[in-house]
Amino acid sequence: MIASLSARTPVLVLGLTGRMGRAHAAHMRRYGTNIVGGTALRADAPAEQDGIPVFADIAAAVAGTGAQAAIAMVPPAGMRAAAEAAFAAGIRLLVTIAEGVPVHDSIAIGRAARAAGATWVGPSTPGLALPGRMKIGFLPDVSLRPGDVALMSKSGTLSYEVGYRMAQRGLGQSLWIGVGGDPVKGVRFADLLPVFLADPATRAIVLVGEVGGAEEEEFAAALAATPSAKPVFAIIAGREAKEGVSMGHAGALTWGEFGTHAAKQARLTAAGVRCCATVEALVEALAAG
Amino acid sequence: MLLVEADGKSLLARHGIRVPAAALVRQAEGFCPEGPGPWVVKAQVPVGGRGKAGGIAFCRDAEAVTEALRRLLGGTLRGHPVTMCLVEQAVAGAEEHYLSLLVDPVSYGVRIAWTRAGGIEVEKAGEIASRLAPPEEGAILVAAEELLAEAPPRDRVALREATVSLVRALLRDGLLLAEVNPLFLGPDGAVAGDAKVVLDLNLAETRADLRDLVLARPDAYPDAVRKLEEGFDYVEIDPEGEVGLVTTGAGLSMVVVDEMQAAGLKPLNFCDLRTGQLRGDPARLVRVLGWIAERPQVRVVLVNIFAGITDLGEFGRLLSDALDRTGLRLPVVARLVGNGAAAGRAELERRHPAVAVVDSLPEALTRIAALRAS
Repeated sequence: MIASLSARTPVLVLGLTGRMGRAHAAHMRRYGTNIVGGTALRADAPAEQDGIPVFADIAAAVAGTGAQAAIAMVPPAGMRAAAEAAFAAGIRLLVTIAEGVPVHDSIAIGRAARAAGATWVGPSTPGLALPGRMKIGFLPDVSLRPGDVALMSKSGTLSYEVGYRMAQRGLGQSLWIGVGGDPVKGVRFADLLPVFLADPATRAIVLVGEVGGAEEEEFAAALAATPSAKPVFAIIAGREAKEGVSMGHAGALTWGEFGTHAAKQARLTAAGVRCCATVEALVEALAAG
Repeated sequence: MLLVEADGKSLLARHGIRVPAAALVRQAEGFCPEGPGPWVVKAQVPVGGRGKAGGIAFCRDAEAVTEALRRLLGGTLRGHPVTMCLVEQAVAGAEEHYLSLLVDPVSYGVRIAWTRAGGIEVEKAGEIASRLAPPEEGAILVAAEELLAEAPPRDRVALREATVSLVRALLRDGLLLAEVNPLFLGPDGAVAGDAKVVLDLNLAETRADLRDLVLARPDAYPDAVRKLEEGFDYVEIDPEGEVGLVTTGAGLSMVVVDEMQAAGLKPLNFCDLRTGQLRGDPARLVRVLGWIAERPQVRVVLVNIFAGITDLGEFGRLLSDALDRTGLRLPVVARLVGNGAAAGRAELERRHPAVAVVDSLPEALTRIAALRAS
């Protein structure tokens, strides 16, 4: 579903009538996203809000609009039910923003997505974008610039910083996906490798990783097994992370040798990825290569 | 978050795992171990590889226990202060096994691993037999049966019982990892020699028993307690640190810490303020500035905010309010980028002209290096 995204893709906002839902729906529309409808957080919601039709539930919204993608602006405790309902209603791509979703709820959401053959991005992500064309989520416009570098990131803010400095250097992105900072999630770095390799608009790949989990290592294994002419650049946050403690993101947790910066950097480097120690070095390497 | 051994064991024990008789000790003086000995003294810090790091002592007599306690308590182990030790009756004449259950994020299932060669070297071996199963008790137990077919018949009953306990702990308490290494197998069945349990702090937000477990130990989990009580992340990296950080966003804040460390600047803390949750109230900023000001070595404060949605004009007001309220005497370097940056800068320049407002992170680090040296 990610490969076929376009400015025409019809998108629903789950929780459109909430404070966040309303504000972000307006931002996304201004950026070019085809917002076709939303669902209400409360039973007494109006039939329309800011010109966007409001439905009682996701099944009615999909039936009424033909939406293929949705963004969930619902609290973490309600995420599992909202996601399962979205996949049951036929949503092909679901982006879930909230952080704080219990890990075993994320396991259930992941299983529901896989059973439905759908794509899930999140939790704890600012979303994704086709820079200059559309975005699902709230990636800041100041960091988005159309270009030929595919960017994927566990961290929102660090990717904003990378995108912003790329833009200042005259570089831009073909596709931008925030996979989120949780230990159990939807789309993972390794899942995106074939998408980026097949995308004719992508010249190079940037991986913005961080300590914890094994996603960078999985990506390294996938890259080593796939001949690729597209260079991959990476920055891994958390070289100085404290062991045994979640560093802001639930997934940014190391213990013993598990999930450490050194382990990730070694595996990525061995797979041919150029690992950079600073944002500055990353952007310079991108500009040069 | 990783629990200390004593808490990991008490959590697993609630689901039926047996643990050795033990005492949790905070002071070497006046403590006398019960029973005949020998004992094992273990530093209670949430890290892996405690044995290799010198955090575990095998003691033949009570004097050795006191000596080990004196050596460990008050020190640090892999960045964590040691405030408690577990003094445990050593398990004699038992075989050491390894048993663990780990959430597998790729298959959305659970990986169960078992091997007969337990003990501290098991991580090195890296060749532990394992099976993947869907996250349901019945399915995991079927996978466990396949795995335990390799076990000596006399051990199977005890291993099955231990497995059932770990499965229930993982599923019912929503854990990411439940690992017992070594799992002692002797004539009396299976006993957990150690426990590594990774708790889901997201679940602890709503599960009172898990939340209480964390809140009961502010000295072992200062960072997690702060997160549960305050709703944001502040992790002290180095109590002797010289630069206090007021930053937002986990990844960017980690990289700021990394880049400062590489540049020879000594960051005090990691901080993910979550500016989107400030809602017009400077309270969170007042808290962070207060914690930073408490540390005597701090020479300068760095504020780094990349605002995707946050209005930096409002943030400038809130930061000014917080600086007024705390009466902070330290120099401040503020780097504001994104939504409303000009308004934020104007607000700070009007109310706190001494604050150095800069545009880029490298520039901010250069300023800090200069202020630290002055």
